[in-house]
Amino acid sequence: MFDYFCLILLDVSILKSQLYTISEAVQASGSSGQSNTLASDVAEDLHDENPKLEAGSDSDNDKPAEEDVEGDFTKLTGRQKKLFELRLKMNEARKANQTAMVAEKKRMEPPQESRGISKQKWLEERKRKIGKLLDANGLDMTKAFMLDTQEAAEAKYKKWEKDPAPVGWDVFNQKALYDAYKKRTKNVEVDLEEYNKMKEADPEFYRDASSLQYGKSPKISEDKIDRMVKELKDREEKRNSFSRRRRFHEEKDIDSINDRNEHFNKKIERAFGKYTLEIKNNLERGTALPD
Amino acid sequence: MMGSKDADPSLGYLTRKDTEVKLPRPTRVKNKTPAPIQITAEQILREARERQEAEIRPPKQKITDSTELADYRLRKRKEFEDLIRRVRWNTGVWIKYAKWEESQKDFNRARSVWERALEVDYRNHTLWLKYAEVEMKNKFINHARNVWDRAVTLLPRVDQLWYKYIHMEEMLGNVAGARQIFERWMHWMPDQQGWLSYIKFELRYNEVERARQIYERFVQCHPKVSTWIKYAKFEMKMGEVDRARNVYERAVEKLADDEEAEQLFVAFAEFEERCKETERARCIYKFALDHIPKGRAEDLYRKFVAFEKQYGDREGIEDAIVGKRRFQYEDEVRKNPMNYDIWFDYIRLEESVGNKERAREVYERAIANVPPAEEKRYWQRYIYLWINYALYEELDAGDMERTRDVYQ
Repeated sequence: MFDYFCLILLDVSILKSQLYTISEAVQASGSSGQSNTLASDVAEDLHDENPKLEAGSDSDNDKPAEEDVEGDFTKLTGRQKKLFELRLKMNEARKANQTAMVAEKKRMEPPQESRGISKQKWLEERKRKIGKLLDANGLDMTKAFMLDTQEAAEAKYKKWEKDPAPVGWDVFNQKALYDAYKKRTKNVEVDLEEYNKMKEADPEFYRDASSLQYGKSPKISEDKIDRMVKELKDREEKRNSFSRRRRFHEEKDIDSINDRNEHFNKKIERAFGKYTLEIKNNLERGTALPD
Repeated sequence: MMGSKDADPSLGYLTRKDTEVKLPRPTRVKNKTPAPIQITAEQILREARERQEAEIRPPKQKITDSTELADYRLRKRKEFEDLIRRVRWNTGVWIKYAKWEESQKDFNRARSVWERALEVDYRNHTLWLKYAEVEMKNKFINHARNVWDRAVTLLPRVDQLWYKYIHMEEMLGNVAGARQIFERWMHWMPDQQGWLSYIKFELRYNEVERARQIYERFVQCHPKVSTWIKYAKFEMKMGEVDRARNVYERAVEKLADDEEAEQLFVAFAEFEERCKETERARCIYKFALDHIPKGRAEDLYRKFVAFEKQYGDREGIEDAIVGKRRFQYEDEVRKNPMNYDIWFDYIRLEESVGNKERAREVYERAIANVPPAEEKRYWQRYIYLWINYALYEELDAGDMERTRDVYQ
């Protein structure tokens, strides 16, 4: 790539200086015969002093040459056209160089793990980065918090104050059930008049556990029953929206032959994913890493 | 040698040669370079899945008359019964069967399925919950009551069953019944949330006296600091200040040596503050500080200092703060008796307070810690201690006698 570039530069500078000297020669002497020899002389010189001319000729020739080109935009003469084309080539070469540089850099870096980075590795990376930053500031690992901004620190405090959300079956822990019951009690409409009426009517209103009124119950009106049924139906609807549907990742690799297989693989991944991540990455890469 | 072409009677018209199983001979792989076009396993799987045909489903049939319906039901029932026979312990299958029967509005059959399921596993509270819910949704109240009763008798430690049973009775307006169930539950001494839900229930109907009695039982059942504090806060909310104070005092009597007594004292003191009884509050704080070992009194100290800043005069504040620093120093000197810096700070503190006795005491203790090694560094500081002591005696105490003593 670089060689190509050098050659292009050489061409350009040669031609530019040729142009300049030729135009000078034309102005000065007015004989085309001499210009040829001059051109060949110039070419020889240029082979020796390439880098200097690059710098010199570019800065010198840019202005007059540019003006020429811009002026005769529509009717480019042979040489100016060539110059234009050369410029295009130069730009292309520059772009090609850039992309080559980026590609090389990418090649030098280790490639991204195809199945994601294990938590351990990520933590180690993080520690290393923070270690570097700390060293730059002359700090110790124990004072890593000094690197946080104020917003970051406030976010951290907030997170510490929060309780961690329950995971898995723990969602039905005692506290959660009690809270759910408390919420449901808001649906109870307390009708104090009716309550008092019942109190009058029933001598054993404040029953004990072992009261003999055990099996009896007052006549219950239809609308109360309907209300109860309605509440149950509401609860059932709420229950349906308990677990949300997860996004379907199309870009993920398929490792199943079936829907049932896919479901099974999801469950297995949940259970063993973090332990088998290294192994899977090694298999994808084809070789195991020496760590 | 038997001619291979001869007909073997057992094989019919085929000869032996034909019936021999010819396995392909394993050839040797000559070219071990990778093929130019590679394929990954994942690609194979992807293609396989894409080329799959859709699932074959039986066509949807519309049921037009009762014989067809009967057929359909028979078929489904047979399916379900087969499933149950295969996987008896799978609650999900039982529940599906029972729910299907319910959807067919055949409640007797549904009930029998539920009962059979319960026979398999009565300890599964979800079965009970779903069964009762089915009865409730279809408005069979007494059936539901029966189910709940059985559930609650068999599994008394599952709070959810109790909650839902009581909720049903309350929704139906049968408050007395609900109360009876609560009473039954309380006999089992459930955890705090059960008691609290009972109290909330009573308060919903403005039965304050009953709520109070329940609280009494509650603190008997769960003699912990948090329950006493809840009781006292309840009394405060009802506006009964004397009762609240009474509660606190009883709590202190009972739980002075509890590990969480500190919280109790803090709550008590805050209560007194709210009642504008600063003297009592101060007494409580002092009592608490004396009572509780220093290690756990962190929070208490902070509150005390804050309180004094609000209400106390200068001396009180200083006293409190000094007391706190004193404890800190005690801690530190206990850990490193050789650390003379700490001794110096401590001495300075005592001097600033102006309490001569204590200052002297501290000096004596400091001097008692003779440096172990013959190193000049240690001795230097030690000597400074002596000199300070002497100066102090001379300047502050003005007691010449003692000064002379010290110089010895």
